[in-house]
Formats: sequence, C-alpha cells, structure tokens
Amino acid sequence: MPSSQTPPAGATALDPTALRPDIADARILRVTPAEVRATLEGLKADGFALLADVGGADYPGREPRFDVVYHLVKLSAAARTLEAVGLPERVRVLCGVSEADPVVPTVSDLWPAADWAEREVFDLFGVRFAGHPDLRRIQLPADWEGYPLRKDYPLRGPARERTPRPSFALKSNVAAGTPASGRTAAALQRQIAAARGQTPKDGAE
Amino acid sequence: MIEDATPAAHGLEIVDAGDGRMIVSMGPQHPSTHGVLQVVTELDGEIVTKADPEIGYLHTGIEKSAENLFWTQASTVIERMDYLSPLSNACCYIMGVEKLLGIDGDVPMRAQHARVLLCELHRIASHCVWLGTGGIDLGAISGFFYAFDLRERILDLTELSGGARMHPNYLRIGGLRDDLPTGFLEKVDELIAMYYPRMRELRGLLQKNPILQDRMIDVGILEADDALAWGVTGPALRATGVPYDIRRAFPYSGYEQYEFDVVTRTEGDAYARFMVRLDEMDQSMRIVEQARKKLETPGPVMIADTKFAPPPKETIALSMEALIHHFKIVSESFRVPPGDVYQAIEGPRGELGYYIVSNGDNRPWRVRTRPPSMYNLQVLKKIAVGEYIADMVVMIGSLDPVFGEVDR
Repeated sequence: MPSSQTPPAGATALDPTALRPDIADARILRVTPAEVRATLEGLKADGFALLADVGGADYPGREPRFDVVYHLVKLSAAARTLEAVGLPERVRVLCGVSEADPVVPTVSDLWPAADWAEREVFDLFGVRFAGHPDLRRIQLPADWEGYPLRKDYPLRGPARERTPRPSFALKSNVAAGTPASGRTAAALQRQIAAARGQTPKDGAE
Repeated sequence: MIEDATPAAHGLEIVDAGDGRMIVSMGPQHPSTHGVLQVVTELDGEIVTKADPEIGYLHTGIEKSAENLFWTQASTVIERMDYLSPLSNACCYIMGVEKLLGIDGDVPMRAQHARVLLCELHRIASHCVWLGTGGIDLGAISGFFYAFDLRERILDLTELSGGARMHPNYLRIGGLRDDLPTGFLEKVDELIAMYYPRMRELRGLLQKNPILQDRMIDVGILEADDALAWGVTGPALRATGVPYDIRRAFPYSGYEQYEFDVVTRTEGDAYARFMVRLDEMDQSMRIVEQARKKLETPGPVMIADTKFAPPPKETIALSMEALIHHFKIVSESFRVPPGDVYQAIEGPRGELGYYIVSNGDNRPWRVRTRPPSMYNLQVLKKIAVGEYIADMVVMIGSLDPVFGEVDR
C-alpha cells in the first residue's frame, strides 16, 4: 500500500465505468447522443414507465468527456399487488457527451420527471438538452459562471467568491487562560476591516 | 392604523399576467414551505392556473464535497442531505460502497439488523416531523407536540447508539462503528410500549378530525400513471395504488426476513398520502419489533477483513501494528476498485438512490444522489393546477419535501 495520500500516476482509471466489477445492479446500455432518444423511447414502449433519475458524471481526459446517466425501472402503473410489481428490472443508460458539443436531446416530453433532472445536469455540468422547454439553472443563481461539478472547477469556488477571512491570533500571543475578551474581538475586527480595505469604525478601538 | 393598504405602499408588486390573471410569489420565507421553497403561482381569482416551484435556496454542494473526502469521511456530509432521517442516507451510500468493494455479502447479520432497526426508527421520526408540521399547516397545533415528543424519544435512541442526536455517523463501511450499547434493547422496548398509545392519541387528534379531512380529501389528486411519469415514489406513489416499495422490489439488508405490509390507497389525494404515511409508521414499528428480537443474539458488528475494519480501540495503546493500522485507515482511508454502482433503498420519502463511481482512488469520483423529495416536489406543477391557492400549503405538506435533500 502506498504511503502517500495521492495515488501514483496510472493507478486510477480514466473511464471507471468500463472496468466495473461484476455487480448485478442493472442492465447497462451505452449510447451516443444521436441514439439516446430512440433507445429511451424503445425502453419506454417496453414498459419502463419510471425514469428514476437523470444524473451526470465528468471524466476529464476521456473522449467523450461527460456521461449523462439515465436510471430506469420497469414498472407499470396498472400494478396493484406486490406480485404484479414483483422484482422489477433496472436499466442504466450511459450516454457519452463530448466537451466540444455537449448537447443531448431532451426526454422531458417522454417523462416529465426529466424536467428538473436535466436542468440540474445543465446547471452543474454544462450539458445542454436540446428541446427542453425551460432549460435554465436550477440550483445556482441565474447569473452564476461555471459548472461546479466539473472536475476542473475548484472545490471552494472561483477566487472571486472567496470572502476575506481574518488570520487568527497565534496561541503564543494570548496569555494562557485569557478568555476571548473585548480586546481580542476588537483585534479581529481590525483584521477584518484591513482585509476588506476599510478603516475600522469608531469605538472598535 | 393602516393608511394605505395597497400592496404597492408596502413595497410589493403584483404582476398582471393579462386577462385578469395574477402572478403571486409564495415563499421563499413562507412558514409552511418546510424550508426554503418559492412557488411562483399564476392565479385566476383564487384558482391556481400555473405553479412553478423554484428550488436551490439551500444548495450547499454536498455532492462536490463528498467527491473531495475519503470514502470513510463522505458519509458524514451525506448524512446531512435528508436531515430528518440521516441514517437512511448513510445506509444507502455505505451499501453502495460495499457493493463496489465486493464485501456486501460479508457484512455481519447483526450489523444489518441494527441498520434495519435504526433506519425504520428514523422513518418513524421523519414521519413524525411531517405529521407535526403538516398538522400545523392545517391549523392543528396540538398534534405537533405529541409527534415531536415521540420523535425526541427516537433521537434519544440515536444518541444512545451513535453519540449524537441527528448525525451520528454510526454506520460504517463494513458494519457499525461499535456494538449497540448495554441497555439499548430495553430502551427500544420502552419506545415500543409508548408508541402504540401515542399513535392512538395522534390518530384521535388528526386522522378523524373533520376539519383536516375537509382540507385534505380530494385535494391534489395524483393518478398512478402521472405519478410514475413524474418520478414520484414512496408514500406519494403508494397513495395512488402502486405498491412499489424498494424493501420488497429490491430487498436489501435482509428485508426478506421481515414481515410487514406495503400500505397502499387508491384515492391519490392528500388524505390518501396522509393515511399511507400514518399506516406505514405502524408497519415500521412492526419491523422494529422483529429486528429487536433478532438483535438479542450477540455477534460481530464489523466485517472481519482488517483492510476495512479499524483495530479495536483497546489494542491501539498496546500494539504498534494496531496503531499504524488505525492511522492508515483514518489518514488515507482505503482504495475502492474502479467501477460504478447504483444502490437504492426505501427512504421515508421514496426511492433514495446513490450512483457511486470510483476510479480506484481513496476518494469517491462521483456521488450522485437520486433525491426522492426533488421528484416528489416537482409534481406540484401538475397537481396544483385547478386547486385553490389556500390548498397549496396542504399539497406541499402532503408531498413531504425536505430541502436539504431537494437542493443538496
């Protein structure tokens, strides 16, 4: 086992979905954006009435870079007993989307459930859904820049979003047992004001 | 004394949509939206002609955070999504990781029974919040105190087992952090003994209350095919007659061994959703009683494979190898083989799913939540049309969204 927290180069997979161990969680179909609509229409006609989820994933360095992931359950609205529901089949459709042309046809007309889910993939990954009636950001404000769940988006957000923070006094500067007094608070306020480029207010010592 | 009662004098703007329809924004600071939800409604008189829920006010980027934590640490933020039943979230994520690791068959049965017991308790606790606040939405205040008192007993049990009321991070990849403490099962017995009389009181207060029935019956009707097309699952789907319950459709954690009924109603209105949740609480208690019996036999609660199980605490002070082993698991977690998996469980609100991708690293590459609340809330666009604006609160309450999960 390596002792470093960062894995050695080549230890991680570029396309993990291609290497998956044998897990019987769903039947997996891989499609291109040109085929996805026909595939999903076929599955819907085949009885997959529940589109459980539409999600996204980002694999930088892989071509196509993004995956739009559809999870479907074979379930009928006419099922009224546990036996009729039985042990339903699950299908997962992975649609690879290239970074140069990140467009997938919408399925929100087939399953209204896809409406918000596709908006969320657009919001967080920047994959556009052609034909979606109302494709705008859903979680983030409308004027947000960038797509946060892309791997090249920094964890704490772009630098413009960072708020100035005071550096806290070292332990050695504070006498042992001294409680956080008005003096400490005033010092912090001065630091915050300096970080913001303001002059401290009167009364803040 | 009000001098000028027009909305404009109070800084409010009423937008006229043409032909006399009016656009009114409800929320995001509305007390009955159970969090921060804004519903932009288009009204024709008192009748809603269009409703557009706006979400995202509570977006905290939990999925992004989880991708930057170790496999063992990610469950702490994941528990905070659906903060009314934190253990369901953790349980689902952890079972997904166990499947990727290929150790899902090796998790001791005692740990799985404890997971079932705690998840069912959290389902009851979550429904208690819905029952209490949902009653307040309709003007029934007293039910709130009875329901929250019951929930508090369950949180006491959570605290007893995991050390914290709300987010104990008690479930671990491979089992549980510790065995259940001495006296835990006796406390469960006390809860079971107080549960049924308390539910009789709550049913007396709420279920047969004519005002509540008038407000809920035939309000927000959802048909079964619409429910499936909109991705509605859980009690809201079962209230339309489809008995889709992940515990029966895709059994996990030994649910095959438990006897319980999948509660359904056929009306599909707010009252049917109310009744399904109430009856479901009793079924959950049945499962708790059975799990409590199964937990009487002692046994291991953590997988034997020391790659995933940290060494017992008492050996750390005595053995250098145990200390190194503990340090490695805490400081760099473990690697998970590359692959992707979708794991679903029956959360209190419906199909709670996790699509987890590992690229072979010690952190998850992608953790996508299938949030049942988000899909259930989305159907408000459909069921609110043609209803009174005053019933909007009833419909939101009957869908039981929790915004930590909707917005993540």
